[in-house]
Amino acid sequence: MERSFKKEVETLRIGNGETFHGEGILGVTKALLQSGVSYVGGYQGAPVSHLMDVLSDAEPLLDELGIHFEVCANEASAAAMLAASVNYPIRGAVTWKSVVGTNVAADGLSNLASAGVKGGALIVVGEDYGEGSSIIQERTHAYAMKSAMCLIDPRPELPTIVRMVEEAFRLSEASNMPSILELRIRACHVYGHFDAKDNANPQFSRNNRIPNAEFDFSRVCLPPATYSQEKHKIEHRLPAAVRYITEHNLNEVFDGDVPEIGVIVQGGIYNTLMRAMRQFGLADSYGNCRISTLVLNVTYPLAPEEIAKFCIGKDAVLVVEEGQPEFLEQAINAILRRKDVNTKIVGKDVFPMAGEYTSEVMLKGVHGFLSNYAPYGLNVDDALQRIDALFSDREGVREILGDSLPLRTPSFCTGCPERPIFSALKIMEKELGEAHISADIGCHTFAALPPFNVGNTVMGYGLGLASSAGLAPSFHKRVISIMGDGGFWHNGMSSGVAAAQANGNDAVLLVVKNGYTSATGWQLLPSSLRDRYGKKRDMSIERVLRGFGIRWLKVIRSYSIARMVKTLRKAMTTPEGGLKVIVADGECQLARQRRIRPEIAKRLKDGKRDVRTRFGVDEDVCTGDHSCIRLSGCPSLTIKPSSDPLRTDPVAHVNNDCVGCGVCGEVSHAAVLCPSFFEARIVRNPNTMDKLLWKLRRGFISILSPKMKSVASL
Amino acid sequence: MNPLEDIRPITLQVSAIGGEGGGVLASWIVAAAQHAGYPVQSTSIPGVAQRTGATIYYLEVFPVPIANLNGKRPVLALYPGVGDIDIMLASEFAEAGRAISNGFVTPDRTHLIASTHRVYAIDERSNMADGRYDTDRLYTAAEERTKASYLADYRQLAQAKGISLNAVLLGVLASIDILPMTKADYLFAIEQSGLAVGSNAQGFEIGFNHEFEKNRAASGATSVTAETNESSSSKLQSRVHDEFPIFCHAVLLEGITRLSHYQDTDYAAQYLDRLAPIWKKENDADGFGEVTAETGRQLALRMSYEDVIRVAQLKSAPDRLERIREEVGAKQDEPVVVVDYLKPGIDELCSILPATFGRWVMGFAERRGWQDKGNFGLHLKSTTVTGYLQLRFLASLKRWRRGTYRYTEEQASIETWLADVEAGLDLDPHLALEIVECARLIKGYGDTHRRGTSNFNIIRDKAILPALSNRLAIEGAADVIANARAAALSDPEGTRLADMTEEIENSVSSTVAD
Repeated sequence: MERSFKKEVETLRIGNGETFHGEGILGVTKALLQSGVSYVGGYQGAPVSHLMDVLSDAEPLLDELGIHFEVCANEASAAAMLAASVNYPIRGAVTWKSVVGTNVAADGLSNLASAGVKGGALIVVGEDYGEGSSIIQERTHAYAMKSAMCLIDPRPELPTIVRMVEEAFRLSEASNMPSILELRIRACHVYGHFDAKDNANPQFSRNNRIPNAEFDFSRVCLPPATYSQEKHKIEHRLPAAVRYITEHNLNEVFDGDVPEIGVIVQGGIYNTLMRAMRQFGLADSYGNCRISTLVLNVTYPLAPEEIAKFCIGKDAVLVVEEGQPEFLEQAINAILRRKDVNTKIVGKDVFPMAGEYTSEVMLKGVHGFLSNYAPYGLNVDDALQRIDALFSDREGVREILGDSLPLRTPSFCTGCPERPIFSALKIMEKELGEAHISADIGCHTFAALPPFNVGNTVMGYGLGLASSAGLAPSFHKRVISIMGDGGFWHNGMSSGVAAAQANGNDAVLLVVKNGYTSATGWQLLPSSLRDRYGKKRDMSIERVLRGFGIRWLKVIRSYSIARMVKTLRKAMTTPEGGLKVIVADGECQLARQRRIRPEIAKRLKDGKRDVRTRFGVDEDVCTGDHSCIRLSGCPSLTIKPSSDPLRTDPVAHVNNDCVGCGVCGEVSHAAVLCPSFFEARIVRNPNTMDKLLWKLRRGFISILSPKMKSVASL
Repeated sequence: MNPLEDIRPITLQVSAIGGEGGGVLASWIVAAAQHAGYPVQSTSIPGVAQRTGATIYYLEVFPVPIANLNGKRPVLALYPGVGDIDIMLASEFAEAGRAISNGFVTPDRTHLIASTHRVYAIDERSNMADGRYDTDRLYTAAEERTKASYLADYRQLAQAKGISLNAVLLGVLASIDILPMTKADYLFAIEQSGLAVGSNAQGFEIGFNHEFEKNRAASGATSVTAETNESSSSKLQSRVHDEFPIFCHAVLLEGITRLSHYQDTDYAAQYLDRLAPIWKKENDADGFGEVTAETGRQLALRMSYEDVIRVAQLKSAPDRLERIREEVGAKQDEPVVVVDYLKPGIDELCSILPATFGRWVMGFAERRGWQDKGNFGLHLKSTTVTGYLQLRFLASLKRWRRGTYRYTEEQASIETWLADVEAGLDLDPHLALEIVECARLIKGYGDTHRRGTSNFNIIRDKAILPALSNRLAIEGAADVIANARAAALSDPEGTRLADMTEEIENSVSSTVAD
């Protein structure tokens, strides 16, 4: 990765008596060090990439503490890493984006949870749910339940998050269950502070190695041990966990003065609840709420006694639980039923079953609860009316703004090497008819959005090729599969390439190679040119493909649109069967810019010659049809009002962000759009030859230039 | 009752677009609040920040210093609340609109700081004609739906000094004095971040000292404001003044200038000759010149159609190089090499061939389906001696233009269109105006031009001709044509236009049956 996190690494060193300031996910990283972990691993993905990025820059600190940091090939290998804590009393943590990463890790997690752990094992998942999420909408909760792992969902403020990381290890050790710490996107990015502690030296680590191998068949996932492991979960581990949770007050009760009703809330959305209560006039700014609240910092397993104790004596309790199915509401109802407590549980009947609980959803849900269950003594009518007015007021806004503010969907960055690939696909489709595109996960998934609208299915990371296996034999022409270099190393080379080759499938695969896992923040890949220490690496996708026996293999520079169109056409029409692979090669432009910008600045400062390339549109030649934009979508290729008084439609315009990749010009060239584009090469720090030539040309052109006639002479 | 109970956090949202520095802006505010000793929390949905999506940063500052809180911690929210925002800071105007429409800006408490420049979204950019969102709506909302608004094109202010927008916005935020931090706190934050401290501090001052006026920039289409110089009136200018109503003068003067330059003064005179009967009919129908002006605008564009000669003329125009140098930001002593991306083919060849020969070649190519073949790519270095000479040579073919195939085709098509407009004027000026507007479809090059022409012909066959021959009820005809035109511009594949024409056909047949 080109970005440096040295500054953040320094904050990980602070100790007792100092205050840590930073984002939630960085606080978690610090808490891991305070907890004495021996190893950390994971697979990058928003919103937890930062944990990985910072640790991969923290080499000296990790050396001192003896901590091993592993950049895992995928989430399955990360989960498998936790095997270290099965036999030995060492703590470890892994991280990934959930629910997708948890899906990939599921095999390892099931086996880990069945075997049980001796040392504390923690999985930090970024719960990528709701606004700003980039994945399918599901809960991690189901995994905790099915495999018997503790699920921690802390109040989203740094002191509680940090405390819960530390407790998670102790809970894991007390119960032999792995713990999952679930952080929503906003909690990962929440900036706050907490009182730091010293980092702890792990008992066993790279600096003090485990002396003996331990063999314990009861911890091997093989029958008959697996049968006793399942029993052990029920008879020993879950009760031990419940005991630890209650004894150490991991869940918090905040008492109010209204005896008739109460609220049970997931820790992670407590702050949103308190703000809604404040808007109803039922809480102050410090979380003193008139309605008693049970905050579940641990949402699995639940402690039945704790739930019953909270509900007894109340007429109605609101369960605020984000996502579906409503596991908590069902479990709480079951607990009360078994204990014969007759408190009415209100949940998804006033809250929506699906979707994120934003402040608006929370207001409406609490509104629904209070409208029906507020006791006589609690006068909330005014507040209810005020909130009603807030929402009805929005109709007026709609009248002014209309229903259609322009949507700002994500797209490829300025100069992105992936854009021209999809431009080429579009141009090829114009010739050969529409194709079925089996898409994959990565920045390239954005091709499914305007202006390209390319990509018929997305089945998971690295699964672009695998997901065409069923359709391809029954489809009237070859199906094109996409796979990024990230997806290739994550699993695509076996699940896709090896499988297709072994089955002799007639398929076309387009590997998008940009050198990084760009969508998650430019982490390095096995095939990145250099490793994190700047040393050259020697792993190549092309060699893997050749090793797999792929004969039809073309490597094309991403920006060469015309060549790409030709190659795609060939791949689609050649009589040759088997797997045909096109590797589209072009470095991630953001990473490249970050790398070359300082180099160029230095060259200019040293007075060395440098040619900057930029593209532009002759606005008097452009007629305002915008075909170029529909085939490119580059953010720097935009529109501006025409300065021609006779034209009303805006004209195409290249703004100052242009990095000179040339895709707009190439597109208009390859698709024969129009002659409006020009390339300008600006020679900075010109040498004598440049200057001389320039003078000559300029003089010549000015002599030959026609003179403008003025209106008056007409 | 706790005396602190009524104090609530001051809430602030930053609505930005990826890459605009929203994150840095948020971190400055946090650092300023920390420096001043107030509890502060920020969070974000950076999501796909660097990929042009909308990004949101949400902050809360509790206006009681930590030192006075006796260990109490306010519970700060991670979500902006509907009706619960004190300051909305939008780095782009449509993002301000989005915040307003989401209920995060309310007249009882929200101060809106917004830069009024637009960064067009993809649907606005990729529209086949003009898909821009109407900025007037944003101004109205900003005026009516806020407690106070602080609007200006801050990006322009920033760019003029070569500094970044977020620093200017921070300055404006400090100047409105809603947050408890002082100017010194903000400047400390800028210093502490260590990012381009000098220019960011300068940007902060610009924002901090900005004077707000109610100067609403003109938005929407540019209006025609060609200057007329009465005293030095030429022959053609006199004709415009003598023969046409004042409403048309600006457009027509622009038209004669354009066409004289495009071809010669005779051509410009022909332009006025063509408009004279239009004005006569409009005048007879008590019109004030609206149809004539619009016809004049479209006619000037149609008569200056973009053939190879025209493109070469524009690309070798005397002011072009200077314009490009300015656009790409080249400094005084920096040489600029301009490379033009051209890909001429059969269309371009025929546009300069003599009429008979051109027609034959074109017909041959059409029969063989060769229209899209035979294009050859050309990267022409227009700033070199040979490159410039080539452009000048092509431009000089202007004198042969009247004999070319393309010229004959264009003039015939223009005459047909003008005849339709005249016939429309006999029936209904609104209908005539819609017929005029259809010329908007014919634009571009190659495939785009063919598609536009074909759409124009479809609308003519299915709507204009039925209307002119009374097969389509005259009351609704103008609307039908306008809708068909909008349909033609809604998708390049022509799907909506095909649906629309089917509808029109049905209504035509039912009219006949009546």
